[in-house]
Formats: sequence, C-alpha cells, structure tokens
Amino acid sequence: MIRIRVTTFLASLGVALTGLALPAMAQTTTIRIGYPGVGIDNRPYGYGDYPSIAAVGKYIEAEFKNQPNVKVTWTFFRGAGPALNESIAAGQIDFAAGLGDLPSIVGKSRGLNTEYLAAGGIHSPLYLAVPANSTITSIDQLRGKRVAEFRGTNLQMATDRVLQVHGFSEKDIRFISLDMNSATAALVSGAIDASFGGSEYLDLAKRGIVKIIYSTKGDDPTLGAESGIVVTTAFEKAHPDLTEKVVRGFVLAAKYGSDEANRQAVFAIWAKSGLPAGSFAADFKDERLAHRDSPVIDPYLIARYKDQVAHAKAYHLITNTVDVDSWFQPKYLNEALAELKLQNYWPTYDSRGNKLTDGAVEQTRAAGE
Amino acid sequence: MARSNRPVPQGSEMSGGTATLPPPAVRPRRRHPGTVRLGNLAIGVAMPIALLALWQASARFNILPEQILPPPQAVIGVLRDGWNDGSLQANTLVSLGRVANGFLAGGVIGLLVGVVLGLSAAWRAMVQPLFLTLAQVPILGWLPILILISGLGDTPKIIAIGWSTFVPVVLNTSQGIAQVPRSLLELGDVLSFSRWSRLRSIILPSAVPQIFTGLREGLANGWQTLVAVELLGSFSGLGYMMAYGRQLFQLEMVLAAVVVVGLIGVLLYLFLGFIERRLLRWQAGRS
Repeated sequence: MIRIRVTTFLASLGVALTGLALPAMAQTTTIRIGYPGVGIDNRPYGYGDYPSIAAVGKYIEAEFKNQPNVKVTWTFFRGAGPALNESIAAGQIDFAAGLGDLPSIVGKSRGLNTEYLAAGGIHSPLYLAVPANSTITSIDQLRGKRVAEFRGTNLQMATDRVLQVHGFSEKDIRFISLDMNSATAALVSGAIDASFGGSEYLDLAKRGIVKIIYSTKGDDPTLGAESGIVVTTAFEKAHPDLTEKVVRGFVLAAKYGSDEANRQAVFAIWAKSGLPAGSFAADFKDERLAHRDSPVIDPYLIARYKDQVAHAKAYHLITNTVDVDSWFQPKYLNEALAELKLQNYWPTYDSRGNKLTDGAVEQTRAAGE
Repeated sequence: MARSNRPVPQGSEMSGGTATLPPPAVRPRRRHPGTVRLGNLAIGVAMPIALLALWQASARFNILPEQILPPPQAVIGVLRDGWNDGSLQANTLVSLGRVANGFLAGGVIGLLVGVVLGLSAAWRAMVQPLFLTLAQVPILGWLPILILISGLGDTPKIIAIGWSTFVPVVLNTSQGIAQVPRSLLELGDVLSFSRWSRLRSIILPSAVPQIFTGLREGLANGWQTLVAVELLGSFSGLGYMMAYGRQLFQLEMVLAAVVVVGLIGVLLYLFLGFIERRLLRWQAGRS
C-alpha cells in the first residue's frame, strides 16, 4: 500500500512539475518589426504615418500583453527602404512597417519572399523646394534646372511622375543624385536649383531657408507616394496567429491616427522625431488624417502598385516583374476590420483616386471644430 | 663565384669606390627575383582563387542569401551587360579621369611642397605642425565644406582626391629628401656641385624610393577617396554605380564595381612600381 502511494505521489508530482515547467520552457518568439527611417539626429521615431503611431503607442505590444513569451522589437533604419530590404534578406526582420512602394517592389522583384498585408501610409504628398532667393516660382520653370533626386527610392518614382504629368521628360532636367539631407544642404548653398521632398521641407520653409513653390496636394490625386505593411512569407507561414494579432494592432493604430479628435495628439507623437508639430499641421492642412492613415487595400492602392511596378520596369529599376495580385494578402486585414467592426470606417478610392465609398471616420471632428 | 669572375675595374680609386654602391641595387634583382616572384605570384593567385571558390560554394549551398551575396556568375553578368551597353566603360572612364586629375594635381603640388619642406628645416618647422594637423582630418570631414565652396560638380571631387594624394606625397618626399645620407651630400660638396646639380644628381635620386612610396600611397588614397566622393552628389562613376546598386538592392552591381575598382587599383600600383624600377635602373646605370 505504502509503496503504491509513494509511486502515485511521485507520479503526480512529476505530472505537476511537468505541467509547471512546460509553459516556462515554451520558446520565446520575437516579432521583429523594421521601420524605414529615423527622426532628426537618428532618433528612433518615424513620422507622418500610422506605423510610427503604432510604435510609440505600443499597439503591437498591447496585442500580446497576455502572452509573455512573445516579444516585439522595433528597429529604425537610417538607410530607409534599401537598408530594410537588406535586413529582411539577412533574416533579421519579420515585418516592414511603412515600407515605401518602390523599395518593397524592388525587394519582392529580387526574390524576397514577402506578403503585402495592409497600406501603411498613403497619399503622402511631395513638395517642391527651391532656395529662398530663387526666381523659380512654378514647377513649369524647371526645364534645364539642377534638381536633386535620390535614385532608386520611391521619391525618385514620385518625382518622375510629377514631372511627367507636367510635361517634362528625364532629359529636360539635370538630375543630381543626392540623399535628402545632402539635398537640403545643396539647396541652401545654391548648388542645386530645386529638390522634391516630403514634409521635412515645410519646417525649413517656415524658417525661411527654402521656399515651397509646388505640392502634389490638390494636383492629380495619383501623384502621392504610398507605403505598406509587409511580412516575410516565412514568418506568416510559421505564425499565422501572431500575424493576425500584429495586423490587428496596426489597424487599431491606424484608427487612432485617423480620428480627427486625436489630430493634435497625433502631431505630438510624430514630433518625437524632432520635427516640430507645426510642420505636420502645415503638411495636413485641409487634409483629413484618414486620407493618409488608412490601412485599407482599395482599388486605388492596387492600381498605384501596379503602375509603380510598370514604371520601375520601364526605368530598369527592376528586371523581374511583380505580380501585385498574388503579393497582396488582404486576408488578415479583412479579418481584423471585421472583428473590430471597422469595415466601413475608412473611405475607399477608385483606381484614379476618386472617392468610391464614404467612411465613418469622416464624421469625426477635431476638438473645437 | 660570379663575383670573383667579374672583371675587376682597372684604375682609379673613384670607380672602385662607387662600384660598391650600385651593384647591390642591381645584383639581387638578377639572382632572387625569379624564385621569389614565382612564389609570390603563386601565393598571390592562390588566395583570390580560394576566396572565389568559397564565394561560389556559398552561392551553391545558399550559405548567404543570394540578395546579400549574389553568385559570381551574376557579377560577371553585370560586368558583361555593362560592357555591352557601354555603361561600364563610361563609368570607369569618368572615375579614371577624376583620379587622374586629382592625382596629377595633388602629386605635382605635393612633390614641389615636399621638396621645399625636405630641403628647408625652417619651412619644415613652420609648416609641418599645421599640415600634420590638417592631414589628420578624414577626407569625408572636408567634403561638406568643399561642396559648400565649390558646388556639386567635379571640382570638389578632384580637390578631395588631390588632397588625399597630396598628404602622403608631401610627407614622404620631404622625409626622403631630409634623410639623404650626409656622406652623399659631402661628396657633392667635394665635387663643388651647384645647388641644382646637387638636387638633381644626389638628393632626388637617393630619395626616389621614398618619394615613390608617397606616390603609391597617394594613388591608393586617391582611388579610395574617389569611391567615397562618388557615393555622394554624383551621377556617374564607379562609386555612383555602387551607391545605385545598393539603392536598387542589386548587390551584384556593387560587387561588379568593387571588382573593377580593385583591378584598376592593382594595375595602377604595378604601373607606379614599374616606373620606379625604371628610374632606379636608369639612376644606377647613370652612375
């Protein structure tokens, strides 16, 4: 009898110990998210899109608060999209958040196995900056001028498209290959006549260092730059459950970033990058947050990416084409939207950028409005 | 054996005296070089071949992702395509032109300044500290200032290349000249050489090896600086090819440019060595 009891005791003890040990022994999974950019002075903050809100607000981490064995890390790449691509190839990153259209297309075309999950910052306008004392007053005066261009980035593609729409070909402009920071220095010193860029120029314009003489806002609605949330196929296949939650976290961040009630708070979050909140106010003047912070994959986004693939091919930036239809995997996004009852939260646009359906977010109002 | 069979020069003490100087410079070249050079060549070739094999193996067995380390065939493909459409030659010529201009300017001015500093202790004391301080600043530190002053064209690139050539040329030339053996200078005094022939016949020849060390170092520096300056504010050249390749995630393009840069660097180095040997032989022959 006693012997049996001892054995039973030992056995139950063993079971209990195993039961205790198992969860502790379960492998820790790290979700490694990369963001293609840094703030001023390499600050680890993005700006101007909702993935940077997700990072600051820890929206992805919040999805895993009951799973202590899941860790989330964020890496901000000073070398932007190209550096992020290299990191994906080296197997160091699982998600690219806010990766520009061209870098993601280039990566996909080069054989990086990725799935496109959601829009990650769209309709980003382009500004044309000239030196403060420049005599250039309109984009139509750029013929024969020295214009900065960061080759191989989506800024190049966006620049080319703007110039094309305004009747210029690549030969009409003297392009100088410069990255954003060098372009600003060159602009100030008068070494170049003009440079296309993002909202960074708004603050310089406010300080009287450059003049903004054109922006794509209000021009052809397809002229902005797009970016997305991309996951490696390896991660998505191994962890569909985690992928689902990551997308949910991003959608919640996009919702926060689209709600006009949060307008000032959103600018304050982006200001962590070192750019003043005022320049975001100028950037978003007469524009709703949701116009850029929508995660939705609509006919507009699909058409833009197909067009970008065609342009990248025509410019010999890629050799292998990319099949946008099979690359885009809206499954997780649609699940998250349905689960959060946000299917009609954001407006959708047709392939030419005209409004297709209204969204509930458009009823939100900024405080005091 | 060879020595004892050599006809002993007849006559003057002078020729006997000088005969002890040149032969060591000439003779070892005839005895060892065959074996030493073959051995060096074998080692020199074995290493790249081993690396190439390793590279091929890495590509074959997917040790590194092909996007990060493309197979050698892909690099050869880029070189072939670039050659066929002429872009490779165009980029190489642009880069060579920039290096040639910068190296010539930096080399010539560096030689002149180096000779002056080598000859005059007073100038050396006055200029050397400032010069050494400036020489410590990496060329990329000067670049923003250069661009502000001279714009984004070829000028700042050539100045940057020129400066990175200038520094080692000045240092080595002045040192080589300042260290000419006293005995040789005294010999010149005995023969009551003029200042010019003293410089031409004694000082410069004996400083040749050190001067060429400076030139070689200057050329290597200039070639490296080229790549650094072309990565920035440029639209052509091998450095630009690297920057562009990286932007577009075509690392085989980066590696192709690396191969061309490396090959040209080696060729230029060998060329300078060839000229140096010719000069030394000519100098030995003259005496």
